[in-house]
Parts: sequence; structure tokens; C-alpha cells
Amino acid sequence: MRTRGAILLANIVTGLALGFTVANIGYGDYAELNRMFTFQDLRMFYSFAGAVVIIVCAFALLRVRRTPGRIHAGVVPGAVLFGTGWAISGGCPAIPITQVASGYLPALVTIAGVTVGIRLCRWANARYFHLDRGSCGL
Amino acid sequence: MSTYWPWWAGAAGLALVTINYTLVTDRSFGVSSAWDRVLHWRNERRLERMDEEFADDQALAEALAVATAEHFGTAAGTSTVPQLPYGEPQPSEADTEPAASEGPAATSLRPAPLITQAALLVSIFIGGWIAAVTSGRFRIRYDMGPGFKELVTANPITMIALLFVGGVLVGFGTRLAGGCNSGHGLNGCGRLRPVSIVATAVFFGTAVVVSFLLWKVI
Repeated sequence: MRTRGAILLANIVTGLALGFTVANIGYGDYAELNRMFTFQDLRMFYSFAGAVVIIVCAFALLRVRRTPGRIHAGVVPGAVLFGTGWAISGGCPAIPITQVASGYLPALVTIAGVTVGIRLCRWANARYFHLDRGSCGL
Repeated sequence: MSTYWPWWAGAAGLALVTINYTLVTDRSFGVSSAWDRVLHWRNERRLERMDEEFADDQALAEALAVATAEHFGTAAGTSTVPQLPYGEPQPSEADTEPAASEGPAATSLRPAPLITQAALLVSIFIGGWIAAVTSGRFRIRYDMGPGFKELVTANPITMIALLFVGGVLVGFGTRLAGGCNSGHGLNGCGRLRPVSIVATAVFFGTAVVVSFLLWKVI
């Protein structure tokens, strides 16, 4: 059932559906994003929160295993950096991809920044942070 | 009038994507994790080859610890094998946790193959392109839209600089926190993982504060 082919197919279907859904919700639109974060229009926030509620209920009904997750030292500072970058650039790791796909060519720069940041995290963790699993790709 | 989906359609779409992936693969997906693994593909391929070579659970864990210590400069003798605070396998990372039904420990620690992560990123692009074309929103543009111009900057050079810096913060921050909207936000919060709930609350809260600063102050 969970063969390499099945996992590959699931990732392709998930990517297509995620890109289609995220773009149609409007996460790639900077004005819409700012309106959500400044509570002028909560439509996109309700989309996200509504999805989480549905997933929680579905996982409970389907008895999907709850996995433990240690709140490691990188969680809060990492989330602060991510939130800042998201509000400035309008992109989380998936959004710049859909922005480029929608014709926003400057989002290629955001993608370049994301790739630099991800590589920088592993390098900085090995050299300075020495955080354990759950952070910087470990 | 907005051409975007109503909130309930977006919620249903995101939930279906997440639930379907979990049921089909017994894993969680994370876009920042996929980026991370694709960008470090040489190391990931090496780990995958080692994974295939070692059938014995303990040998695999020890070999991974040694390889990780060599690659990342971790102090010799420091094990990177996960602690087991709850008496069950710890997920290899926030975005790729296994399920209990996966079977033996070695199998359950195995993340999705690298090629599937590359396929996920490419598929997001194609999905986004289909959405833009079918909704009539696709247009080649050299700016980030009127919202960015009004709220952040209309200067192209400043725009490029801010997008790059913002991207670096996103890339660095998501990996430091161990996940992004999909890994922590949808999959992690959906599983009620405390670490994901904390991360999601903090990155949403921070984005709210920064957005208010951009809107009202700057």
C-alpha cells in the first residue's frame, strides 16, 4: 500500500491540490494577506482555522496517532523570524512558488531568499546553535 | 469583488489535502521540510543509500548518528538518535513523523523518499499555475501587486532587497522552528502537537504585529 510509488503519487496529488487551493484562497496576494493579519478581513484566517478544526476532528475520528513533539529551543525564535519574514515578503515556503506560478516574477527573489535561509540554518546550527532534532533539518 | 474562494471552501480544501495525505502515506507533509531535503539532496541521497543498506535497526541508528556528527560537526559521541520521552518512536522531524501502524522502528523513522519531496514542490507550482489560469488571474508582472506597493515599497530595488531578506527569514525561521504553515500549522496542529500549537501561535502573532507596523506605522 505505502510503496515508493504510492508515496510519490500522493505527493504529486497533494502538491497539485495544495498549490491550487492556496492560490484560490488568495495567500499569494499580498494585499489579502495584510488584510488578514490586520483583522480587516478574516476570510483567509477562517480558511486556515477551519481547516485545522476539520483536521483535528477527522484525525480524532480516524484515530490518527498523536505524535509527541518536544518544544525545543529553536521553536519560538524560529517562529518569530518566520512570522516577520512572512509579513514582509508575503511568502511562506509554499506561497512564493504559487506567486511565481501566478506571474509574480519578483517572487523568484523570495524563493532565492528561502533557499539561502534554509541552507544558512543547517550551517548555523552545526557551527553555533547545536540544537537537536526537530530543528534545522535534524 | 474578490474572485477568491469563500472561507469554507478554502478550509475544506486545505483539510482534504492534509487528511488525504495522512491516510495514504501514514506521514505528514511539510513544505519547508521538502525544501530543506531537496536543497541538501546530496546528504539526503547518502542517508537514503545507507538506509537501504542497513536492515538492522540499531546498525542504522548508529550509522546515522555517525554520519550526522561528521556532516554537521556535532561533538563526537553525541547521539542524534531521538529521545523517547513518551515510550514511543519520536518523529524524525516535525514534518515527517511516522505512524504507529508503520511497523518496525526502522521503517517508522524513514522519511518520505527524496524524489517525492521534489515532486511535491514541482506539483505546487503546477497547481498554482492551473489555479491562476483557470481563474483568469494569471498575468506576468514585475511587481508584487498594488498591496505591496502601498504597504511596503514602490521602489523596485527596495522591493527586491525586502523580498530577499523576507525570504531568508522565512527559510531560516521555518527550519529553526522545525516547520511552517503546512508542517506545524495544518499537520501539527491537526495532531494537537504542543510544539506545533506554540509555533503556529508565535508565527501568526508575530506576523500580525509586523503587519500592523507596516500598515499603521511605516
